[in-house]
Amino acid sequence: MSIFQIRPNYSSLARCAPITEKPGTDRAMRVAIQRARAGKKAAPFALQQAFDGAIAKLVRAIPVDAQVAELFANESLIPLVKQPWKKILLNPVVLAIALAIAVIGGVFAHRVYQRWNDFPGADKARRLLSVASSTRSVMLDPLKTDAGALSDLFFMKHRLEHYDIPPEFADFKTLGSRVFDDDEVRGVAQIWVVEKRMQLFLFPAEKNPKDGSVTDFSDWRFVELEGWTGAVQQRNGVCFMAALRGREKDLAPYLEKKKQ
Amino acid sequence: MSVTTQNLPQLYRFCFLMTGDASKAQEAFQNTVREAALRVARDEPPPDRLWFFRDARRRCLAVCEQGLQAEPGTMEETEISPVGPMQIEQLEPDQLAVWISAAPEPQRSALSLFYLDEFSLREMLALLEVKAGELSELISSGRQQFQAWLDATTPYHQE
Repeated sequence: MSIFQIRPNYSSLARCAPITEKPGTDRAMRVAIQRARAGKKAAPFALQQAFDGAIAKLVRAIPVDAQVAELFANESLIPLVKQPWKKILLNPVVLAIALAIAVIGGVFAHRVYQRWNDFPGADKARRLLSVASSTRSVMLDPLKTDAGALSDLFFMKHRLEHYDIPPEFADFKTLGSRVFDDDEVRGVAQIWVVEKRMQLFLFPAEKNPKDGSVTDFSDWRFVELEGWTGAVQQRNGVCFMAALRGREKDLAPYLEKKKQ
Repeated sequence: MSVTTQNLPQLYRFCFLMTGDASKAQEAFQNTVREAALRVARDEPPPDRLWFFRDARRRCLAVCEQGLQAEPGTMEETEISPVGPMQIEQLEPDQLAVWISAAPEPQRSALSLFYLDEFSLREMLALLEVKAGELSELISSGRQQFQAWLDATTPYHQE
């Protein structure tokens, strides 16, 4: 807490302004001096400073007894005491800085870990997770069938080839579907299923910018965004993503079902 | 900040301002420094330079209590004069020390510490254990009383 009150009395402070400028002067005192120099009382303040300066000069002229001065001329009374490291660590400022660095480091490490495990098309998948979180059922065309049966519909109606539902999700009953072009992802097929209000997405896989090739993967890879999780698989140049509100463990039972 | 021999002249000046007497100042000063040396020998060095001034202040007050005491009373106050700095230039350090040492506590300590021009406001408040407003009042009134004393004893005649 400051040595001054909540609202410092600047004119009172100016009356005990330091005679010479010193480093580490309190902010309130600096403001008080500034105001005194610039305000109506600039002249009395200048006179006060001259008066104080003259007295200080007289004080500096006080002779120090030679015997006294010689006695301790070569002696350092107090060795420079280093602050114990425990005291330094317990300093609130040090603690706050350490905590901030830890948080920043944690976020950075999490980002690095996330990017490290990312796969081609992960950004698209995250983008579609945000679509999933904002989609309402009225936005989709009502359609009650098995999810697996929609592959033919996508091919015949929208000429979307290889938009196949993996066997793990093929038996799920659908509530509706649609095909749309997103700003960043084109030719997205979205299916809403009854099971846990899950949403399935099919979209073109990310091509390698160097050679235009697509590297498929048959294992499940995960993306997360704002409480939504997606399990992604890529086959024949098409990504499939099953998305639901929850965590990876909520999706895991569906992914293991087919293996059994 | 560590305390070195560089601070000792200031400590002595403080004692001189507090007592107004060279022998009393020397006694208080030497006792303080001796106490510090003993603490160092016991591996309990004084924590900071404020300790020296706090200890010296206590000793100075004790030394001064043994001698003649100034009679309590209200001193005349006058606004600072434009010729005040010139009047001060005519003084000897001893005269200033005698005037300050005659001031009542805690004004005596406040003026001594303030005119050493050694401490920040925060340090002075810690040493004197007063609030900022109180310190301001002590110094401000001391300034005006000193001007009144100057006018009475050291008139300035412009040549």
